[in-house]
Amino acid sequence: MAAPSMKERQACWGARDEYWKCLDENTEDASKCKKLRSSFESSCPQQWIKYFDNRRDYLKFKEKFEAGDFQPSKMTAKS
Amino acid sequence: MLLLARPPKAWHRLFQLQPLALLGTPGGKTQHVRCQLFSTPGPADTGRQGQPQGPGLRTRLLVTALVGAGLGGAWLALRAEKERGRQQQRTEALRQAAVGQGDFSLLDHRGQVRCKADFRGQWVLLYFGFTHCPDICPDELEKLVQVVRQLEAEPSLPPVQPLFITVDPERDTVAAMARYVQDFHPRLLGLTGSAEQIAQVSRSYRVYYSAGPKDEDQDYIVDHSIAIYLLSPDGLFTDYYSRARSAEQITDSVRRHMAAFRSVLR
Repeated sequence: MAAPSMKERQACWGARDEYWKCLDENTEDASKCKKLRSSFESSCPQQWIKYFDNRRDYLKFKEKFEAGDFQPSKMTAKS
Repeated sequence: MLLLARPPKAWHRLFQLQPLALLGTPGGKTQHVRCQLFSTPGPADTGRQGQPQGPGLRTRLLVTALVGAGLGGAWLALRAEKERGRQQQRTEALRQAAVGQGDFSLLDHRGQVRCKADFRGQWVLLYFGFTHCPDICPDELEKLVQVVRQLEAEPSLPPVQPLFITVDPERDTVAAMARYVQDFHPRLLGLTGSAEQIAQVSRSYRVYYSAGPKDEDQDYIVDHSIAIYLLSPDGLFTDYYSRARSAEQITDSVRRHMAAFRSVLR
């Protein structure tokens, strides 16, 4: 399977960005963005979809972490 | 050398004064001993038996200062020589590294064999990646060629050779590389080779890479260290730029290295 060309890459990134924008607007509610999800899945190789999903999870986690939503557990504070 | 230039009179006084230094601070007994020492015959002493303190102190200070200056001069000269020796050793080590280290034998995207010596005399910006990369490699290559273009816009600067070496030799054939590099810059050279050749060049440049698991489409992502390397015209590793550096920052850094460059090869 040949690697995606620049045009194909850009189409994939565009679909991903649309899907992520929808998720941002709907507080991560994937059921509201089904159409964009399928558009995303058809524009990108499967490996890339997995990769971008992981990336999304990581970015969301990073946001929460930087906002201070995670407190050190009592165990670690004592040890 | 400086020591020999001093007049012999000072040496004579030095031998007389040395025991004084050992005697320590003035006290009744030592005062007496001092007077006794001064009273021993010597050509410069005859007029001084009654007044040891006045001229004695000035002379003492002068001699100490001269000795100090002599020692200081000798120390500085020795230090400079040691530094010169160290510099020579370093230049020699760099010369050997320039020739021997980081050598590779790879195929460019036109099917020609290329090795490190081919790029001697040119500044090189080098990136390791793979064509099936989702976003990082295209972003980094875009940044790299932006740096190249910015430097090209300055006619006084030498042209920089952009290089892209694959960490996925299994899929990135010559044809795949040719398809990939055309999207970035006309002078971007893609390099590929056998698994052994790629392993060797990655080792030389300390690049980590690891192919992930294959899915149903036999597709996989290669995890790899991300950095843009700058090589000098001697072929030596000069600097590296992480994902966090912008194109402008890299351009500035390359410009500075170009200005400071002194070749070790003749």
